Amino acid sequence: MALIELKDVSKLYGFGDATTLALDEVSVTIERGEFVAVMGPSGCGKSSLMNVIGLLDRPSHGNYKLDGRKVAKLRANRAARVRRDTIGFIFQSYNLLPRLSILENVALPLAYKGVSVKKRIRQASTMLERVGIQNREYFMPSQLSGGQLQCAAIARALVNNPKLIIADEPTGNLDSESSRLVMELLSEIHKTGNTVLFVTHNPELTRYATRVLYMHDGNIIHDEQTAIGQVAATARKVLYTLPTTNEEDDLAGVSALMRARPDVPSVGRKVTRPKSRSTKKAASKRKTSVRRKKADV
Amino acid sequence: MKPARGQLKTGFDSVRGAKWRNFWTMLGIIIGVSSVITVVGIGQGIKNQISGQINYLGKDLITIRPSSLRTGGDQSLDTYNVLSGLSITGSLQDKDVQAVSKAPGVRASAPLSAISTTVKSEKGQYKKGLVIGTSASLPNLLNQPLEFGTFLDPDDPGARAAVLGKAAAEAMFESDVPLGFTFSINGQDFIVRGIFDQFKNTPLSDEANFNTAIFIPYDVSQELTKNSGAIYEILAKPATSSPVDTTIASIKTQLNQTHGNQDNFTVLRQDENIAARSEVLDLLTRLITGVAAISLLVGGIGIMNVMLVSVTERMHEIGIRKAIGATNRQILSQFVIESALLSFVGGIIGVALAFIVNGLLRFFTNLRPDISWQIVLIASGVSLAVGIIFGSVPALKAARKDPIEALRTII
Repeated sequence: MALIELKDVSKLYGFGDATTLALDEVSVTIERGEFVAVMGPSGCGKSSLMNVIGLLDRPSHGNYKLDGRKVAKLRANRAARVRRDTIGFIFQSYNLLPRLSILENVALPLAYKGVSVKKRIRQASTMLERVGIQNREYFMPSQLSGGQLQCAAIARALVNNPKLIIADEPTGNLDSESSRLVMELLSEIHKTGNTVLFVTHNPELTRYATRVLYMHDGNIIHDEQTAIGQVAATARKVLYTLPTTNEEDDLAGVSALMRARPDVPSVGRKVTRPKSRSTKKAASKRKTSVRRKKADV
Repeated sequence: MKPARGQLKTGFDSVRGAKWRNFWTMLGIIIGVSSVITVVGIGQGIKNQISGQINYLGKDLITIRPSSLRTGGDQSLDTYNVLSGLSITGSLQDKDVQAVSKAPGVRASAPLSAISTTVKSEKGQYKKGLVIGTSASLPNLLNQPLEFGTFLDPDDPGARAAVLGKAAAEAMFESDVPLGFTFSINGQDFIVRGIFDQFKNTPLSDEANFNTAIFIPYDVSQELTKNSGAIYEILAKPATSSPVDTTIASIKTQLNQTHGNQDNFTVLRQDENIAARSEVLDLLTRLITGVAAISLLVGGIGIMNVMLVSVTERMHEIGIRKAIGATNRQILSQFVIESALLSFVGGIIGVALAFIVNGLLRFFTNLRPDISWQIVLIASGVSLAVGIIFGSVPALKAARKDPIEALRTII
């Protein structure tokens, strides 16, 4: 039995004309023990997919079975309990509570489970030892580096022994050194049998994954099994053919060009005022040419 | 319930985190609780003092006072016509004093006549107190012992002798016990014959302050003012064999004769007199307590507002908590506990403040507020309830928030 079974899951935001389709009838099955990377451009629905899988959000349509249980239409409190017991979240911005110490932060999911204070502290401490920052357990989050914070967040995600770890760009805010640390940690977790799902923009990180999903406009456009230690084939392609500029940069470049206007002498501006119509024409001509150029692209 | 402990700690942690903001939040509750307790305490204290006065003066003391006779015209219009109309204030005179003393059943009586005079002593002019003309039986009627010396001599009603209240004695003479010293009233010399013990004054009482008064024989006071001194009160006590009511009736009969059946005087038993006063006092206390209770309510609204702001500020935190598995109920209880804690701590500070105010009042005034544990319990209980009730609105707002939306909120 697969851990995650999504069937024709759609997610719509907004109403009427403002409706946007974040997930467009996505169907995917993820087995236990997989280490799945999800890639795709911003706004393609990666986060929506993570939210739906993580039961933070309910799908608008479709079926979702988590661990063999139908959870698509779960009520808020039940969903919270499922999150607490079977899912661990890791966020890009760590999302530790700033006014609690690292240890208290890690122990928080246990508190919501109703574990006694003593046991909570012990388990949290063990978990911090596992991620290698036990010597920082009485620090406040503001006193730790990004990598350490993410380690603490991973400890918090693990403390309830969840079957599924969902990490939404866990290395997005980290330098390459810390990124490596965090990914090693995740891959260790994966080795102990957990299912890990992570979102990334960095094709290099697909080395850690066993499977890569590519998303675009709310669809999974490519699903690839990959060997650990190898950058996924499609990801490699993405890496080397990635456009260096986007549309916005293009437009900015064009307007910068227009501002320069080497053909119109700035000294003669006042004198040529009566001829403004002709300059306008010239300008409009230039614009159309730009447009044509873009169309060609 | 096991999770409750964790929730309590969570709530406590958030309160601990923002001390000053929480103090301002609690201020409304603090003021509300302390003012309710103080007002009720003052009311209770005055009532205690009044009932103490009854026991002290004796229930059988009879007070005769002039009262006003109103001729308001049309009786039915009286309610609309409160301030106009002729009002004649009756007066008590020599013959009334005689009448009262001769009334059957009266054991002793004394007039009290305040006269306006110029008093000069070794410390200069004395302006703080009344000069009261009275008779020898006054200490007996008031159950008031003298600290030094003796009271006026009944056998020598024309003597130029005076008895001083304790405060008057201190203000007029350097000497601690100025017995035998002289001072002058309207240029005539008087010898100090005795000094009263401290009178137990009652706040809000309509008695003159006897501690600052100078007592001289009634006849002398009439002489000094050429018989124009007004008697504002006659005190009387019935003989032990005669019941108070019968004595009052007989005094009334006697006075009706001297007043030509005009009902421009009142005869009051001490306990009646005091009962009427404490009834008014009760009403006043309730009224002020009501006003103070409103401030408790306003304090509750203050807590609600701060909690609403706090919920908005901490939306992201709520999102995190929900993401890691907090149920709506757990979020709800966190915020309710937080506001309950705020209001409860506010209540405790308010109680402490009330006790401080109580101490200050006792020290600086003659009020003796009496704070009962019931009112402390009620006030802090109400403050807790206010916190829970007003705190549940923001808490519900927090609990019902969608986790995704809450997580997205960045302040």
